[in-house]
Amino acid sequence: MNWRRFLHRRAADADQLEELEFYLDITAEEYIQRGMDPATARDAARRKLGNPTLIREEIYRMNTLTFLEGALRDIRHAVRMIGAKRGFSAAVLLSLALGIGANVAIFTVVNAVLIRPLPYPEPESLIGVYNSAVLQGEAIDSMPLSLDMYVAFKAGAQTFQGFGVWTPDAATVTGLGEPEQIPTAIMTAEVLPTLGVRPYLGRYFSNQDDSPDGPATAILSYGYWQRKFGGDAQAIGRTVLLDFVPRQVVGVMPRNFRFLDISPDVLLPLRLPKGPITGGDGNLSGIARLKAGVTLAQANQDIARVLKIWSDTYGVRQIAEQLRIKPALRPLKKDVVGDVGAVLGILMGALALVMLLVCANVANLVQVRAQGRQHEFAIRAALGAGWGRIARELLVESLTLGALGGGLGLALAYVGLRLLVTQGPATLPRLAEISIDSTSLLFALACSLGSSVLFGLVAALKCGRPGGVQSPRGSSRSTEQIRTQNMLVVTQVALALVLLVAAGLMVRSFLALRAVRPGFTHPEQIQTARIWIPQTQIPEPERVAQMQVDIVNRLAAIPGVSAVAFGSGLPMELGYRNGIVVGVEGKTPVDQIPPNRAMRQISPGLFAAQGTRLVAGRDFTWTDMFTKRRVAIVSENMAREYWGEPRNALGKRIRAGNQGPWNEIVGVAENVYEDGIQQQPPPLVYFRAGVQAPDEPGEAASVRRGVTLAIRSHRAGTQSFIREISAAIHAVNPNLPVARVGTLNDDYKLSMARTSFTLVLLGIAGLMALTLAIVGVYGVLAYAVAQRSREIGIRIALGAEPGTIKSLFVRQGLLMACAGGAIGLLSAATLSRWISSLLFGVTPLDPVTYGVSGAAILAAALTASYIPARRAASVDPMETLRSE
Amino acid sequence: MVQGTLDMLILQTLVLGPAHGQTIAHAIERGSDDVLQVEHGSLYPALHRLQNRGWIAAFWGTSENNRKAKYYRLTPAGKKQLAAQTSRWEQVVRAIGRILNPAAEKQS
Repeated sequence: MNWRRFLHRRAADADQLEELEFYLDITAEEYIQRGMDPATARDAARRKLGNPTLIREEIYRMNTLTFLEGALRDIRHAVRMIGAKRGFSAAVLLSLALGIGANVAIFTVVNAVLIRPLPYPEPESLIGVYNSAVLQGEAIDSMPLSLDMYVAFKAGAQTFQGFGVWTPDAATVTGLGEPEQIPTAIMTAEVLPTLGVRPYLGRYFSNQDDSPDGPATAILSYGYWQRKFGGDAQAIGRTVLLDFVPRQVVGVMPRNFRFLDISPDVLLPLRLPKGPITGGDGNLSGIARLKAGVTLAQANQDIARVLKIWSDTYGVRQIAEQLRIKPALRPLKKDVVGDVGAVLGILMGALALVMLLVCANVANLVQVRAQGRQHEFAIRAALGAGWGRIARELLVESLTLGALGGGLGLALAYVGLRLLVTQGPATLPRLAEISIDSTSLLFALACSLGSSVLFGLVAALKCGRPGGVQSPRGSSRSTEQIRTQNMLVVTQVALALVLLVAAGLMVRSFLALRAVRPGFTHPEQIQTARIWIPQTQIPEPERVAQMQVDIVNRLAAIPGVSAVAFGSGLPMELGYRNGIVVGVEGKTPVDQIPPNRAMRQISPGLFAAQGTRLVAGRDFTWTDMFTKRRVAIVSENMAREYWGEPRNALGKRIRAGNQGPWNEIVGVAENVYEDGIQQQPPPLVYFRAGVQAPDEPGEAASVRRGVTLAIRSHRAGTQSFIREISAAIHAVNPNLPVARVGTLNDDYKLSMARTSFTLVLLGIAGLMALTLAIVGVYGVLAYAVAQRSREIGIRIALGAEPGTIKSLFVRQGLLMACAGGAIGLLSAATLSRWISSLLFGVTPLDPVTYGVSGAAILAAALTASYIPARRAASVDPMETLRSE
Repeated sequence: MVQGTLDMLILQTLVLGPAHGQTIAHAIERGSDDVLQVEHGSLYPALHRLQNRGWIAAFWGTSENNRKAKYYRLTPAGKKQLAAQTSRWEQVVRAIGRILNPAAEKQS
């Protein structure tokens, strides 16, 4: 093999020609000198040399890479054929481009969001460290670690290569422009080395940073460093004010660093308290890297042993056994991906179905096309072409089609993904990272190569196999070929129906979700903003409470605002939901731990602002707040649980924990779907906001410093409105950062994000499938009409009505659609239980969805078969008979 | 003609200096007292093959009658090849000679 010679073989041949010319000339001259006449001399020289063309061919062959030469010729031929049959090529390329495009787009999204969630080296050995426990009969499988557990695990674990704990938090930054609340992550020094991410600048946290009297330090994210320090390398060593505490910047993380599923602007060291660590306090997530060769089961065993040591060290063996605390390690990937694994599987399944559809469709078209070329193949076979040669050419043709279709599909996917990234839901995690990368490219390549080999083989086996090439005369279709084609179409219809049903079930779930009254009204009109008044700035609880009231009054004065209130958190606002154990007078025994309940501290008027109805009793009043009355409101389901009727709850008393003063229930509010619509609304206890009198005399009074404001206005979400809100808050306190500005609708939509995301992607797949099925039915019938035009001509000549001819073909189309529909309905009924975990308010066998999808398929098939049928009816008998 | 012999003869001819195709053909005929008849056409593929192997190199020059002609010359690799082939050839010839005429071999 010599590429250079191969590429220059034309020039070499020209040289050769010249050389042989020279030989002839000089030999002829010689003969002339010997006395021959010029013409004879030239002939004699030619005889001496032999056949110059043969010589040149022999040399040309020496310079040729035979296989490549053949392949190039085949590709040239294929391109010519594709160009010659425009309609056919357009149908195939459209099918391939749509199929591959949709597949690559969906795959890219799934890959970015679900498959590639951990951008760290050797992610498979990273695990999340949690415990499982049983609280009041309820199993909890990701109980966070406490600080003493961290110490015990760090000292005792033998299967970990690295282990650290972290917790998400937020901090107020002052002194760098407008005060701002930013997300942070607090972590021990081992966390970053365990993940294996080196800082872009500076250093990791050290053990000194973790120690109680170590220096106060911070590591910045790349984005925050760019925003606030303009990417200045001198930022290292500078001081930032976080929650009014000066901290030295010791490092900057790399640009693509992401901490699991959160993007903290600043990382802070977890400073261990002074003295021996005690107490089960703490809300820490653990991250560990397993030693090489250690399995998850082995690590669980190891930690079970360490937990025993821990419970003995801290004398909590009895409690630990009572709560049945066990290690619950899991792949770290699960922490990031969560429970969307089900969605992943379904989408990949849908992908495979669409790709199969494309293959079926194209195989059909290629086969139809190859049958049209029977005549040509027969002649070529008669001229001595081997079946391998013909099969190879067919394969090369489909590969060329596949490559072209794949290229188009890639372009389509690129455009689609651009649209998705700019227009797509902000709720899609890691949306910005979605782009076509080498994995997607490989996937596209695999798609187009796989599909073209598949449909190319069908055609090659059908037409190119030995003995398969028939005589050029009598080119009518065999029943076997018709059966294959019809079966492919039936399969297509069935697959399309399965996907349509899946998409339909998602639509129904989405509608059902929208129909649920979430416990608030018109979330898009509720502007939210979170404020936090730090202790370092205003220590006195009374003044904090007063400032919150002042802010509410200021905001109420903004034009267009109909209600303002605040709470420790708003419905569905993740991260600000508190849970406490709630004792109920006369209902929960004093010697047992009472059940844990979701709890909020809210200001008067929050129910009105949210649109939450009061089922019984009254809302809190400002008088309750200023006189520090001990009052409470409970949710309807909690009232029913203890007292049967909501009204009966009024006047009853509850308290936080098993000791302390009682609070009188003054109202019962409707249930709020705190955990998203898919989850049952949790029992909820509301306490009033403002200063809380100490439970025991001698203790200090307290106040909730971080609250989320709910401002109802038709102007919610506009920039001018947000500016006015921020101005009103800063008029009360210029140093207050305003965070999490948005509308309640954001959280509401986020709670349905999984359903809507699956809906969109399955919807795309379903529409694609429908289109492909239409193309498939149309293609086969149009071909049948063309093949049978002679027969149709004779029928019409013999007096057949156009209507009869039309119904002949429409009936054939409907028959295929019905057969496919029946198979599809059965398959959908079997397969739909796979997505039952994603459904809401609809059974996997929902008759409406099945009915509508089936009708849609039938209507599509009817349309697809009507057009060729009409063409059949308009066949001119004279024309047809003459042309035969 | 025995396969490979032509290659050796071409190389041998070029030892005397660069030559073009026609000269080589004549030289082989004359050198063997016209015993070895070269079909001149078969010479050119052989020349091409030797060139591909790097044993000879081609260049365009001017012929004795002032025409542009392709000349061939021996490369160092070609020289080595010729030496190896020649000695191997002689071995073969001697072996054949021993078989055909053992007595003559002993006398010498």
